[in-house]
This record gives sequence, structure tokens and C-alpha cells, in this order.
Amino acid sequence: MRIKVINWIIFFLFLFLSLAVLNLQLINGRRYWQLSNKNCIRLLPQEGCRGNILDRQGKVIVGNKLSYDLAIIPQDKVQIEKALLAASRVLGRDVDELGRNFKNGFIAPFAPVVIARDIEVRQAIALEELRPDIANITIQMRPVRDYPYGKFGCHIFGYLNEIDRRRLTKLSDYGYQTKDIVGFGGLEEKYDYYLRPEKGGLSLEVDHRGKFVRILGFKPPHDGKDIQLTVDLDIQKIVENNLVDRQGSVIIMDPSSGEIIAMASAPNFNPKLFVKKTSPATLRNLFNDPRAPLVNRAISGVYPPGSVFKLVMAYGALDTKKMSTNKTFFCPGSMYVGRREFKCWDIHQRQNLFGAIIHSCDVFFYHTGLIIGAQAIHDYALRFGFGKVTAIDLPYESSGFVPSPLWKKIRRLSNWFDGDTANLSIGQGDLMVTPIQTVRMVAVFANKGSLVKPYLVKSIDGRDISVYQRVPSGTKFKEATIEYIADAMRSTVSEPTGTANILAIFGVQVAGKTGTVQVPHGQTHAWFIGFFPFKNPKFAICVFLEHGGSGQAACMLTRRIIEEMLKQGLIR
Amino acid sequence: MRNHSLVILILLILISSFGLLSIYSSTHQKDGEPWGLIFKRQLLWFAFGLILFFTMSNINYRRLWDWTYILYGLTIILLLLVFVLGVVRLGAQRWLKFAWINFQPSELAKLITVIFLARYFSSKSADYLSWHTHKLGLYRALLLPFIFISIPMGLIIEQPDLGSGIILLFIFIIMFYLAGAKLRYILFFLLITALAMPVLWHLLKDYQKDRIMVFLNPNSDPLGAGYTIIQSKIAIGSGGFLGKGWLSGTQSQLRFLPESHTDFIFATFAEERGFLGSIVLLALYYFLINQGIAIGQRTSDNFGRLLALGISAMLGIQILVNIAMNMGIAPVVGLPLPLMSYGGSSILITCISLGILVNIEKTRTVF
Repeated sequence: MRIKVINWIIFFLFLFLSLAVLNLQLINGRRYWQLSNKNCIRLLPQEGCRGNILDRQGKVIVGNKLSYDLAIIPQDKVQIEKALLAASRVLGRDVDELGRNFKNGFIAPFAPVVIARDIEVRQAIALEELRPDIANITIQMRPVRDYPYGKFGCHIFGYLNEIDRRRLTKLSDYGYQTKDIVGFGGLEEKYDYYLRPEKGGLSLEVDHRGKFVRILGFKPPHDGKDIQLTVDLDIQKIVENNLVDRQGSVIIMDPSSGEIIAMASAPNFNPKLFVKKTSPATLRNLFNDPRAPLVNRAISGVYPPGSVFKLVMAYGALDTKKMSTNKTFFCPGSMYVGRREFKCWDIHQRQNLFGAIIHSCDVFFYHTGLIIGAQAIHDYALRFGFGKVTAIDLPYESSGFVPSPLWKKIRRLSNWFDGDTANLSIGQGDLMVTPIQTVRMVAVFANKGSLVKPYLVKSIDGRDISVYQRVPSGTKFKEATIEYIADAMRSTVSEPTGTANILAIFGVQVAGKTGTVQVPHGQTHAWFIGFFPFKNPKFAICVFLEHGGSGQAACMLTRRIIEEMLKQGLIR
Repeated sequence: MRNHSLVILILLILISSFGLLSIYSSTHQKDGEPWGLIFKRQLLWFAFGLILFFTMSNINYRRLWDWTYILYGLTIILLLLVFVLGVVRLGAQRWLKFAWINFQPSELAKLITVIFLARYFSSKSADYLSWHTHKLGLYRALLLPFIFISIPMGLIIEQPDLGSGIILLFIFIIMFYLAGAKLRYILFFLLITALAMPVLWHLLKDYQKDRIMVFLNPNSDPLGAGYTIIQSKIAIGSGGFLGKGWLSGTQSQLRFLPESHTDFIFATFAEERGFLGSIVLLALYYFLINQGIAIGQRTSDNFGRLLALGISAMLGIQILVNIAMNMGIAPVVGLPLPLMSYGGSSILITCISLGILVNIEKTRTVF
């Protein structure tokens, strides 16, 4: 009897053990298998180089250079202490801080631990000389982003930094991991997928002490792909130099293809700050700077276009056939729309459309606007690419805004008045555009009637992608009308009374249109858009100065840029 | 040799072979002399064990009845000698060194306890000619044998070897129960033991307390006392259904699992052989114990009967506790897995015990 009890007890205990084995090996087997791999498999990552960014001639604008890292091979405690002390002496850094870096970076006893990144060559040599005494110090070389031209083009490229949470969530499906270095803003972000190096590494088996046992696998790292830009470094330099200490942006584009030849925004920033692991305070200042140096004004800044919008008005007026080129209006210096007086910036007497463009007569365009109507203006603005992004290959492009009577009714709950039309006619009021949109608009007049898509990247990894970049434009503009307005733009420069007469320079025929934008506070914004050489346009240009004064200021800047380009023989 | 004896021999050889393979696997990649010797030594012990198995199966077990007190006395002397001459290893003084042999008297004590209790509970008094444990009073049924057992038990726990000490206690309780003692005595004894727990807790060494605390929560000290349990569970669990294959267990091969050839041999085995192997091994052990109990049931001689059951219980407890501790469902106590773990004393005593079992089966018809 009692034996039976014992027999059963033993049976149940064995059954219990079997179930426990089942639980460990089958139900939780996968988890324990991973844990056991984590025990004995170590990964030693190896980095490749990020792809270079080249200008249209193939010069490296953003490349890589070697950076020196100080690493310690973990051996016995005494050796590590010695190495840390020596390192702190040479680098002039706190021992505790280095010790912390060591602890955080530790992978396995045979793998060198980087304790200080980006040390100077001088320090690297000094540390290398200590090796006879302290054998476990090593200097490792690692490619880091290099900006040979400093701040030039910073807004085109953006900067590099450790991936943030938002990007990680978005990109984790594409193999991005925490601590990855990715592009922020600019081409570095847009083309990150191509530029980023493919990580390689060794997977090693280690024993319980972390000692190396054998190599399980090796995957060589692959460098990122190079991308070549349409940007001409020489012209970019000229543009950047002229924007120093200004606030605004300059874009130069090939009007026929949409290739961006130069693009600059001021104030700018030094992308090196992000590579160098600058103090958080410096970066914070950069992010909190009220002048927003990180914003690429060329594509993300929205401003009223002012008088440059009159080109759209002129085309609209002629295209709707509501006005002929012979139609004249008298400008006494102001006019009443409803009960409000709308001023012109000067007294222009009687003139037709051609003259109105040359002198940028507001009164003439108030009349024009009232004749063709707000809805038509809205539609023509959209045809010239306003109110939507240009789809340039840069992130964070703004779409700007074109108001319409319907919009006003829905969003502002009020009627559209003639005064609104008058305001819109001279590019003021709610109308908002980005510089890239205006340069594209002016390119229509340079290339005789097609709206191009601007782009920056010509080829990836040696493969020409301009075929994909050049999106065929929609409906063509009427060539005769376009040419008529283009002639007026040329006269704006060539006529002594034209608003852009200071651009009548020897050597190249420039055509263009100025703009001065009234702002609620501070100085007016200054615009100049145009193209040159007039006969066979190679460059469409947009100069915008935030609170830069009248359009004359923009003209002055344009003149300096063109003169410099002439001097360097860049205009053929 | 009859059927049942043959089954025991086959089980003995099968399980020992598993043990030898696992010991080879867990030590072959470790450099240095002692590691290389371990497998060969175990092989030697196994050969010795087989010889002892056959010897014991041919010596009438009734002789043990006559030798009981001599054996008991010898054991006490050996256990005392451990304190004087013992070799200190792993922080405990458990081994006696004869020439080149390290002997662990606590292993012997387990078997002797079984023999002693079998004799005590089956002795016939002058007044009663029949088996009479159930008629004994509290003193003679419980206290006297317990005093006899607590001497070796105390000495073993003092070594310190809590595991083996506790095994003696378990053996006592089970044999007391099987001998037909009054249930109320058993309950009384269990109650006393339970009440004594808090007192005994203070007598434990710090590392023993740690182990018990860690058993309750292995993650309380993952790099210290809990390390072994965690690594052992990882080893067993990572084996999956078919295991990682012989000589391929990373946990044991790369030394993440401590004591992978002794107390944690089951983890080594389970890692390389997987669920399938573990279940087969458990089944073999179950059959072995079942055979022992069956022999006990068939034997009419009280001494033989209690001896067979006691031996089965002794092996069963060790197997169950060891495997349970490998899986983290019992606290880590230094207990070998009979026939699998490396260790001469353990394998010799187990072989002797099984030899006695076979002899009981063989001698049965004589009475």
C-alpha cells in the first residue's frame, strides 16, 4: 500500500520534470536559444565610407577624411588604468570621463574600446609614441564627413547626426538602427539611402570570459554611393561669398533643364559642428537662433513675391485676351479701389503693359487685376507653379500659398473684395511664394514657355539620372506672349528708366524684374528675378533679401554676382 | 542472471554511456592536464563500478545485516577524518585523499544510512517475531533511529554539504514511512522539522542562504549565486527539440555553464540532445527506479525489501533533486546526478547499490 503511494509520487515527480523540460526546451526554447547566442556571439561592426557629393565638374564638395580615435585593448586592470591616465594626460581630458567611455564601449576583452573620438593628429602621434610603455593603446582610423569648403552649400547638403526617434520609426524597415548616422535636411537626408555606407562586421564566438574562440562570419562593409550634383562649385562660391552677412537666398538655375547651378541661403551654418560632437550649448544656440540659420530659405522660406508677380499678371492679361498690348492706363501715383486708396511707388503717367513692366507700375496692374479677376489670377499663378511644391529633390520644401475668393470664403468667412484683387495683383497680401518657385517662374520666360522641374542630383554612383529628373512640363505657355514679356524684362534692365537699370552691364545682356515687398515690421524684402544672357539664356537667377531694402538692393547683389561670373569667365 | 537484473545492467550501461559522452563533450575543448584526464578517469571509475556491481550482485546481501554496525562505525570514522585530513575544494571539505584517489565519504554515508535503517526497521525483537515497526513507541520508532542518522547527517552538513545532508533526511523519512511507522509519528516528525526550519536557517552558511534566496528569485544576483541557475536554464532551453548536437553545446563548450561535467551534467546533456534526449534520459531513470521498487515489492524478506526500496529512494531523490535544480525548480545544492555526473565516489556507490539490488532479486527465491 505504502509502496504504491511512493510509486505514484515518483511517477508524478518524473512527469513534473518532463513537463518542466517541455516548458524550457519547447515552449521557451526560442527565447533561451537567443539568450545562449547572446552569451557567445559578439558583433564587431566595421564602418564604410559615406558616399561623396561631387559638383558638376566632379570636384568633391562633401567627402570623407580619416579621423583618429583612441582605443584601448582591454587587458588587465592595471594596464587599463595606466592607459587611461596616459590618455587623459595627453588629451587633457578627465580620467573619469574616459573611464566611463571605456565602460560603455566595452564589447569583449579582445576588442579595442574607443575612449576618445576625433583626436588631433598631434595627439595621436604623441599617444602612439607611448606604445612601448603602454602596449594596449591603439589609434584607430575611421572615415568621417569632411567639408573642404566649410559652410558652402550647407543648405544643399544638410548635416549628419545620430538618427532621432522620428526618423528611426520611419526608416527602421529599411535597415536603419539606433546610433546610425543619417542625414538631416538637404541631400544628405533626401539621398541618405544611396549615400549611407553598408555596415559590415565580424561575428565572433567568445567563451565565458569573453575570450575570442573563432570567427563565425564576416561581411565586408560597402561604401555609400557617390552622387554628382548639377551645382557648379565656382558659381556656388561666388553666390555664397556675396551672401555673407545677409539674410536671404540666391538661386541660379539652368532655365532649359531645371538644373540648379547654385543655391545658397543666408545665414548659414557649419555642418562640421555636427560631426565634431560640439558642445550641446553651441548646437542649442544654432537651433534656437532667431535668424534660423538651419532653414534653407531657397526652398522652405515663404514670402510675398511683390512686383515679380507682375510677370504672371502680364501673361494672364494677354493670355485671357482681356487686354491688348496697346491698352494703356494713366498712373497718377495712386488709385481708389472701392473706398481705399492704393498707392503706386511713383507717378508713371500713361503707359501700356510693356512700360508698366519696365517701370513696375502698381496702378497699371491694379487695373489689370480688376479686369481679369481674382480667380483668373489664382489660376495663372498655379500655372506658373505657385501654391505647390516644385518637387526639387530636397526635403522640407514649402508649397507657398495662392489665395482665391473661394478660399477666403471658406477659411476667412468673408467675401473677396476688389481691394484683395488689387493687393494680389502686385504680389502682396496672402500670396506666398518660395524663391525656388520664382526662379522656376522666371525660367518660363527664359526658355520660351515651359515650366521645368528644378533638380540638384545629376547622377548617382556614376549613373546619369537626369532623364528621371527632367519631368516634362505640362501645357506650354504661348511663345509670342512669353517673348513679349521677356522683351519687357530685357527693357527693364536696358532702359535708363527701368527698375533694374543698374544691371545694364557690359558683357552680358540681362533681363529681369525687381520686387519690393512691404512688410508689417522692418525693412522691405528685396527681390530680383531674371535670366541671362538674354539671347540664349543659360542662367535663370533669383535673388531674395529678407528685409534687404528695395529691389535695387537685390539688383546690386545680382550685379556683383554676374560681374564676378564674367570675371571668372563662367558665362560663355 | 534473470530478466530484471539484466534490465538493471542495461539501464546502468545506457545511462552511464550518456554520462560519459556528456563528460567528454563538456571537457574535451578545455585545455590543460586535469581536463584531459577527467574523461579517462570517469571511464576508469565506470569500469571499477561495473566490477563492483558484479561483485556485489554475487555477495549475499544478508551479509550486510551482519556488517551493518561495522559499516556504520566506519562511515562515522571516515566522516570525522574528513575534518582532520580532508581536502578542501570549492570551499568545502568533503574529500579524503587515499593515494591518488579523492574519496567522498558522504556518498558512502547515503548507502550506509539506507542499510542501517533497513536493518533497524526490520529487526525482530525477542517479544515479537514479526515485523513490528508499527507497534513501536515514539522513542524506539522515531527518536532512536533519528539520533543514529543525525550523527552522519550533522557531520555532512558541517562539511559543508547541505545537499547530501538533506538527502539523508529524505531517506530517513521515506524509509520510516515504508517501514510502516505510525502515520501520526511521521506527521509529528514533519511538523517538528517544519518548526525547526527557522532555527536551522541561522545555522546555514551564507552561501547556502544565498543559494536558497537565489532559488526563490534567480535574477536577484545574476552574476553571483544566480549565475549558475540562469546559465543552466539557458543551456537546457536553448537545446530545443533536437539539441545542438554532440560537442556543439555553446553553453557548456564555451564554459558559460559552471560545473558542466558534475552537478550540471544534465544541462550539458539537455543542451546537446534537446527535448528528445532529455525525455529519453528521464524515462531511463524512471525505469531504473521502478525496477528497484519492483524488486522491493517482490521480496518477502523485510530487510531485503526495505533495502531495495531504500536504495531506490536514495537514487530517486538524488535524480529528482539534481534534475530539478538543473532546471531551476529546486535550490542549488551540491548533488551529483547518479551515473551521469563526474565523480568516482558517486559512480562507485551507485554501482554498489545497484549490485545490491540485483543480489536481492537473485536471492529472493532462496527464502
